[in-house]
Amino acid sequence: MYQRAGGIVTPLITALFAFVVGGLVVVATTGKNPLSTYRAIFDGTGLNWLFPWVSGVARHDAALNLQQTLLVMAPLMLTGLAVAFAFRCGLFNIGGQGQYTVGTVVAVQTGIWFASMPKPAHILIAIVLATLAGAVWAGIAGVLRATVGAHEVITTIMLNWIALWVASYLVGFGGPLQDKRFGAVNPNTPDIVASAKLPVFWGDPQLQGLHIGFFIALAALVVFWIVLSRTTLGYEVRAVGFNAEAARYSGINVPRSYFLAMAISGAFAGLAGAIDLLGWEFHLDLTVVQSSQIGFFGIAVALLGRNSAVGVFFASLVFAALLNGTSARALDPSIFDPQLAGNLTRIIQGLVVLFVGADLLVVYLWQARRKLGLVGRDGLEPGKEPAAS
Amino acid sequence: MSVRAESVRSGWERATGPRAVGILGIALGALSFWLALPPVHARNTVLPVAVGILGAAAGIWAVSRRERRVGWGAIAAALVGIVGAILATRSSLTHLDIVVFWGALVTATLRWATPLTFAAIGGMFSERSGVVNIGLEGMMLVGAFFGALGADKTGSWEGGLLIAMAAGGALALIHAFFAIHLRADQIVGGTAINFLALGITGYLYVDVYGQQGTPTNLPAIPDVHFNWLQHVPPHQLGSFLDNSFGQMNLMVWLMFPLLIVSYIVMFKTPIGLRIRAVGEHPRAADTVGISVYAVRYSAVVVSGVLAALGGAYLSIGFVHSFSEGMTNGRGFIALAALIFGGWRPFGAFGAALLFGFSSALALRLPDAYGSSAGTLFQALPYVLTLIAVAGVIGRSIPPAAIGRPYKKQ
Amino acid sequence: MSDGPILELRSITKRFPGVVANDAIDFELLPGEVHALLGENGAGKSTLMNIVYGLYRPDGGEILIRGKPVTLGSAREAIMHGIGMVHQHFMLIPVMTVAENIVLASEPTHAGVLLDYAASVERVRELSERFGLAVDPEARVENIGVGQEQRVEILKALYRGAEILILDEPTAVLTPQEAAELFEIIRGLQAQGKSIIFISHKLKEVVEIADRITVLRRGRKVDTISREGATETGLARMMVGREVLLRVEKKPAAPGQPMLEVHDLSVLDDRGLGAVRDVSFAVRAGEIVGLAGVDGNGQTELIDALAGLRRPSGGEIRVRGQDVTRASARRVLDLGVGHIPEDRQRRGLVLEFSLAENLALHDYDEEPNSRFGWLFPRRLISRARKLLREFDVRGGGPQTRASALSGGNQQKVVIAREVAGDPDVLIAAQPTRGLDVGAIEYVHRRLVEVRDEGKAVLLVSLELDEIRALSDRILVIYEGRIVGEYDPKVAEEDLGIAMTGGGSAAAA
Repeated sequence: MYQRAGGIVTPLITALFAFVVGGLVVVATTGKNPLSTYRAIFDGTGLNWLFPWVSGVARHDAALNLQQTLLVMAPLMLTGLAVAFAFRCGLFNIGGQGQYTVGTVVAVQTGIWFASMPKPAHILIAIVLATLAGAVWAGIAGVLRATVGAHEVITTIMLNWIALWVASYLVGFGGPLQDKRFGAVNPNTPDIVASAKLPVFWGDPQLQGLHIGFFIALAALVVFWIVLSRTTLGYEVRAVGFNAEAARYSGINVPRSYFLAMAISGAFAGLAGAIDLLGWEFHLDLTVVQSSQIGFFGIAVALLGRNSAVGVFFASLVFAALLNGTSARALDPSIFDPQLAGNLTRIIQGLVVLFVGADLLVVYLWQARRKLGLVGRDGLEPGKEPAAS
Repeated sequence: MSVRAESVRSGWERATGPRAVGILGIALGALSFWLALPPVHARNTVLPVAVGILGAAAGIWAVSRRERRVGWGAIAAALVGIVGAILATRSSLTHLDIVVFWGALVTATLRWATPLTFAAIGGMFSERSGVVNIGLEGMMLVGAFFGALGADKTGSWEGGLLIAMAAGGALALIHAFFAIHLRADQIVGGTAINFLALGITGYLYVDVYGQQGTPTNLPAIPDVHFNWLQHVPPHQLGSFLDNSFGQMNLMVWLMFPLLIVSYIVMFKTPIGLRIRAVGEHPRAADTVGISVYAVRYSAVVVSGVLAALGGAYLSIGFVHSFSEGMTNGRGFIALAALIFGGWRPFGAFGAALLFGFSSALALRLPDAYGSSAGTLFQALPYVLTLIAVAGVIGRSIPPAAIGRPYKKQ
Repeated sequence: MSDGPILELRSITKRFPGVVANDAIDFELLPGEVHALLGENGAGKSTLMNIVYGLYRPDGGEILIRGKPVTLGSAREAIMHGIGMVHQHFMLIPVMTVAENIVLASEPTHAGVLLDYAASVERVRELSERFGLAVDPEARVENIGVGQEQRVEILKALYRGAEILILDEPTAVLTPQEAAELFEIIRGLQAQGKSIIFISHKLKEVVEIADRITVLRRGRKVDTISREGATETGLARMMVGREVLLRVEKKPAAPGQPMLEVHDLSVLDDRGLGAVRDVSFAVRAGEIVGLAGVDGNGQTELIDALAGLRRPSGGEIRVRGQDVTRASARRVLDLGVGHIPEDRQRRGLVLEFSLAENLALHDYDEEPNSRFGWLFPRRLISRARKLLREFDVRGGGPQTRASALSGGNQQKVVIAREVAGDPDVLIAAQPTRGLDVGAIEYVHRRLVEVRDEGKAVLLVSLELDEIRALSDRILVIYEGRIVGEYDPKVAEEDLGIAMTGGGSAAAA
């Protein structure tokens, strides 16, 4: 029975369990009521905007918060898709962070150059180049996997660090991209020109309103689904992901699939970098380069979303809400220290990744119900059979 | 068809053979030094360093194709070439400074290789038993934090080490439970372990130490002094030895017995034979009465304990403080060292030395070339690891059952 | 030696989800006897013996050793009670030496800490001399032959003091000559007082070696009889429950043009060693050519090369006259070579794919399945519906996952895909492995039909009976060389000799 519902049940139980454990951490370390902490985090997400009874100032605040949540959700969807696409080909791309970083670097430079270009063209070229950069960066790992068989987990991690240090060098003190106008006092690039900025459609453009990158990300979800289920490329990728040996035996070029899957995966992550930079960051600075976690959260998003487009949508909403709700801006420090909350988010992320991979845990829990007396003697006892052999 | 075509092809194959590439690597190493000397006299190190890295890459490629002697020769030549080039570009150096420089480089290499070696040896136990341990990074990080916390709270570095070991072991136990009992994907599980470690240590760090950071008077793992080394004649050798080995942390010295003991355990005792049997063919081990689960659980926990020791060395033996995410991917580099070293202690140590050297070099270069370029050189160990992994994986033969959960019948 | 049975099973029952593998089975083994356990694939022989060896727990029944009830919860306990088992798939670690494999888990040591490798070697040598099982203790298992591996397995059991030895399908991997040697060893062990359970589905050898025979059918015990009075036909009836038809109905072949030609082909294996050496042969339209050989003599590498999955190191392959020596797998398929791979679950099917997707594995990128990279799932489904009906696949429709089907039906899906592409050449590698009698008959019939449609069929099989029943010509491969060509009426012994490199390459 659990198997039929397994598609939704496992992620739900996983998420619930992760939040419960997170709550226990709160109680154990601070003695604070986890429910009120989660409540404060929830209010910070702006999701209460969806409740019709919230009105007046509260509604206005909620709208601002929700804009921020969706602002985070957009790149998370994309980095989630990046991990999910590679997964569908049997590859574990932990390099979303590096591919995202490369995307931001290319986007910022493109946004500074071509100042005289018309807006749509400027945005398009910046997005395309950043996306390609992400594809190339992941493509390195793809090529290494396809040719010499180097495991993508180690290569993408190394590429993350290389991207981080190269980007740090570029934007940091004395780096070629550093803003030299005011005596080069800050480790950051200049802002991109106005023609490269993504239009804002909800909220105040001056106050990080929600930009059209959100729709780009939604479109990417559709593209992801179409490519996987309606193209021969997607068919190949899935065949290789499920059984590379059988795919090879039926004439599919497996190395090519590895390379393309990695490159497409990196393209999603590079695109995430582009919309973040063109949508609200507008420049890169050293601390952002070194502390960004968007790419890493994509792993949890993909796993919680079971590598499907719809799943990634909801999972990215969960993590965006969590990230924004625990941000220093949204969370009242008197209720819970945002720095602690940020790390709590990482713990929850870790727990999600840990539990999602362990389907058997659900089976065990299901069987344990019986021992705990949760099922009547005459009730259905799915655990009766020996664990599937 | 013709004989001619045949001989052309075999000539080409010879030219691209491992031996030829290795020799090319040696040449590149020499070239990198030569570039810095008159008449070329490059004033910028980027070119010689780049050429040197190419040489090292060629060497690694050759090593991975079983041309070990030539390959290692190329790696060594390249590294010497790079250092030589750096020295030459700073030609105002006195004779003595050069000796000091070399001594410092040797010390720094060992220092950076130590945490890698501890973690890599840990990884060896886990992976030889058939459990992939991507979570080494997280286990190191947990060791680094709990080492600092433990040293602070107990007021002794021994306490710090013990608590670090316990924490690393506990985290490894979680990994083991998911990998062994729940038969979850070991790579995904290890990634989760890394996130968890980052979150837990970050959370507790903020919770316990807040803005101040770890106290400055954190009890530290002591250094071992060998003052007599400087009196070794001749004078130059003495001061070189003193600079290299005269003052190193206890953990650096402990690394050597660890290497020997882990080698003996793995290859000369029944325990090691059983670990390897489980990693190669768990069902075969099971049918002669070895408990696959027990062996794997213990091996994974040992790997966590050793990785945590490596992490604790970083925090209370090396930099004397803790900062969030301070392991900076060293767990992954250790894993690469393990693979490059063919899942053997001394092989892993050799690779750890190589990566340690590149870390040491990356930190020395900014002195000479300003902090901006120095930032770029921070990427050096990762680039080298990437090259090593690309060169060697698929050639280095892992335990046959690695990554595969075992299910009792 | 006491008179009572050394091992007695009373009413052993074992259930798996959906099946009763062992249904109240009684069995007794007398000291010093060779007792054969006979039955078809899936009759419950291996399950029963895995219970005796402590690997499975029975759901009911009792086990007695020397008259005392025991519980065998693990292999360790079985070993302690003097039971040893040689599994059908050897439980040996290739990268370790013979001695290491044998002493594993009860190693001689120096002071209980360090391995005493010299003592291990010595003990193994001693044992091997005592029981007449020649092995080299210091050789690595990956470097020795199958026959030797089996001896190592037997030594492993003897080293642990086994009095009861279970041999699970021991001749499956052996040539007739090696099997004869094994029988000598078994008689020797019997002479030294060991009791042996011999699991097999081959009637002939059971009659030859066993003192008594217990027949299982579909999880139930049919009877135990002694060798005297046992006949092959009688046993066969007990085993299958009806008269067995070992012959395949087929008309004489009418060979036409050569469709697949191989000249001086050489192929390397994964380790870079020569696996196929200077092989030349041709398969003509309208004939089935059987390739006989002991496992691991280059068959896999040869098939891989023919299918474009492995670059040959020399020689030439032609399909309908076209050179495909360096062609990709996809191009070889497009030129009309169908391939039923030897392991359908690992290589033949994507188990997580639907049947429709599996059936499209070769031509998903061709019209009408797709156009310009755009896939049309509906068309895959409608075509699949037709093929599933035509090939009588049961247990699911086009959108069922392949993993949900039984082995026989999975194989039908593979055959449907390979035959539906209307190939000129069909390579069938072990097409009936692990299938039940009904499915085997179906596969055989289909292969003959394909031949009768004028296609060239290359059949690679380890089952000599299958090769002899289906083939129009038989090639024997040994150590990567074709060592002879035979008529299908050739005696099994002659084939066996050729398969072990004996005899001359003098062929018909």
